[in-house]
Amino acid sequence: MTDLLTRRALLGGFGCACCAGLAGVAEARISPHAMKPLITSGYRPTEKDEQGLWQQYERVEHEIAGSNLLVQDKALTSYVGELTERVGGPAAKDLRIYLAHIPEFNAFMAPTGFMVVFTGLLTRMRDEAQLAGVIAHEAGHFLRRHHIRGWRDLRRKSDVLSILAMGAGVGGGAAGVYLGDAVRLAEMGTILSLFSYSRELEAEADAMGLKLISEAAYDPLAMPETWQQLIEEVEASARMRKKRPHRGYSLFATHPAPASRMTDLRASSREVTAASGPQARGRDRFLKAIAAHRSGFLDDQVKLNDPGASLYIIENLAKDGWNGLLRFYEAEVWRLRGEKGDDLRAAQGYAAAVAYPDAPPEAWRNHGYAVQKAGRREEAKAALSRYLALAPKATDAPMIRFSLAQ
Amino acid sequence: MGRRSFLLLAGASLALGGCVSTRQYTDVEFEPPQGNYSLIVMRPDVQVGSISTGGLFEARADWTEQSRANLLRALADQQAGRGGRTRIMETRDAVKGVAPELVADLERLHNAVGNSIVLHKYVGARLPTKRRGIDWTLGEDAVRFGRATGMDYALFLYAQDSFASTGRVAMQVLGLAGCFVGFCAPVGGGSQTAFASLVDLKTGDVVWFNVLQSQQGDVRTPEGSAQMVERLLGRMRAGRNIRERQQ
Repeated sequence: MTDLLTRRALLGGFGCACCAGLAGVAEARISPHAMKPLITSGYRPTEKDEQGLWQQYERVEHEIAGSNLLVQDKALTSYVGELTERVGGPAAKDLRIYLAHIPEFNAFMAPTGFMVVFTGLLTRMRDEAQLAGVIAHEAGHFLRRHHIRGWRDLRRKSDVLSILAMGAGVGGGAAGVYLGDAVRLAEMGTILSLFSYSRELEAEADAMGLKLISEAAYDPLAMPETWQQLIEEVEASARMRKKRPHRGYSLFATHPAPASRMTDLRASSREVTAASGPQARGRDRFLKAIAAHRSGFLDDQVKLNDPGASLYIIENLAKDGWNGLLRFYEAEVWRLRGEKGDDLRAAQGYAAAVAYPDAPPEAWRNHGYAVQKAGRREEAKAALSRYLALAPKATDAPMIRFSLAQ
Repeated sequence: MGRRSFLLLAGASLALGGCVSTRQYTDVEFEPPQGNYSLIVMRPDVQVGSISTGGLFEARADWTEQSRANLLRALADQQAGRGGRTRIMETRDAVKGVAPELVADLERLHNAVGNSIVLHKYVGARLPTKRRGIDWTLGEDAVRFGRATGMDYALFLYAQDSFASTGRVAMQVLGLAGCFVGFCAPVGGGSQTAFASLVDLKTGDVVWFNVLQSQQGDVRTPEGSAQMVERLLGRMRAGRNIRERQQ
């Protein structure tokens, strides 16, 4: 036994295990054409481990379905639901969508087929094609059975690790050497390869998602665009806080590095574009669906006190044209930051906002206060009166009426 | 090492792993329900599964369903023995005249309150103002729920039981065998964790709270379930003031 189990041999063995894990980090691009759904409509698990997983998630879904964070507007939720049916692939009818009022960029898919979409996602999307891309990516996780595949991989690797660790301990004990370091090295290798497997699944979901949206005649370039936006937002946020950007990517991140992910997505987009016909962006449809909520979504965002990100989001949406709402919230970002010179920036923003026919009532109010501060009393009076005319029942209306009468 | 002693040792390790502990806290004025009372069990959460070779918990749907049924039957039997009438609330809309939103609110509130009890009573972050017994309440919502359901007590119940897979048992044996060559690695096997929290629906107060941890038992069998219910709820102690007055 002592001859066979030398410290060097074991270290060498673990070293290889680690390399195998690390090698997974640089994955090759997965072609969208290679992605076939692994389940069909009405899928139910037949194996014990997956049945157990489903049962646990049924309770989770029950909790989410009863959450008071869910958006109650039927028109908006059914819009997202119908979009999901278009890009959800063969199991689209089985998918359940929960729209949660959380101002963050996120969406996740449960193994049982329910999806949670955060309102922060709707804040950031420029058109229906972008939103379809994110939803199709999540549907891809379900169609490719990623949850159970990820779990089985985790279980297999942790089994192997504990056998190796135990073998090293008992074997090392018999050989009279301490192998704790080697075991820790192997642990590291296992953890790394777990995350790389997870990144592989994310890349699969990207490829599956691209295929789904191009089949539904959406512009596949919307998907790399969304990633580009996220990278730029994170950078803009850090720049304004004078911090180094936290790219949400490290060796341990579960998602592929945004930059490499984007490169892969662009290449794959070209691949599917060549094969498909006309592509839609669905901007008007998207704007109509979120019209009643957009100001609330932007309001949530600017109140997060992340001026860099908020300005980036607003400017990104304004690539499709500025309007009163976007100008107003741009000004709000400056007002809420409140550093030297921000009051002037805000004042300019309110002035710009009220030049648009769709300026929200609050833009008139804040414009009124800004010009009042600058000593232009008549202009202020006109703007505040305009506010009262647009929002006669606002909570601060009586106060403003009183001060105008003085 | 002889083969026989190895087997003996392995057997001993599996048998000796069994320790059972409960720790209950009661409201100082709590009297365990007796006689003609009613109890509603709020969507009991039961999870049963296996422990993989690497030590991960994996839920098993069939074991869970079977154990859940066993536990609830055992609970109803035990309460009936004290004179109590038990009703199981399977879903949030199970009681007519009670809005599911009220139930959801109550559950969320209990979740927060229960976490705070665990933090300040079990984890060790003691509060100087909450030394004696437990002094937490779910307030008016619970009283309203009691009035609407006509129930005296609400019980929140969570139970998890797990069993070592064949691979895990092998790891346990190996871990102990390693002791002979200077490498002791005790490996955890299956275990039970459960908690129960009793709310008096007349006052809304959490009057009794218990946490059970055990390395033995099997809730998949009716006997094992009865045993867990007995360990968790069977030895309800009266509150401190009541006990002092009795002495």
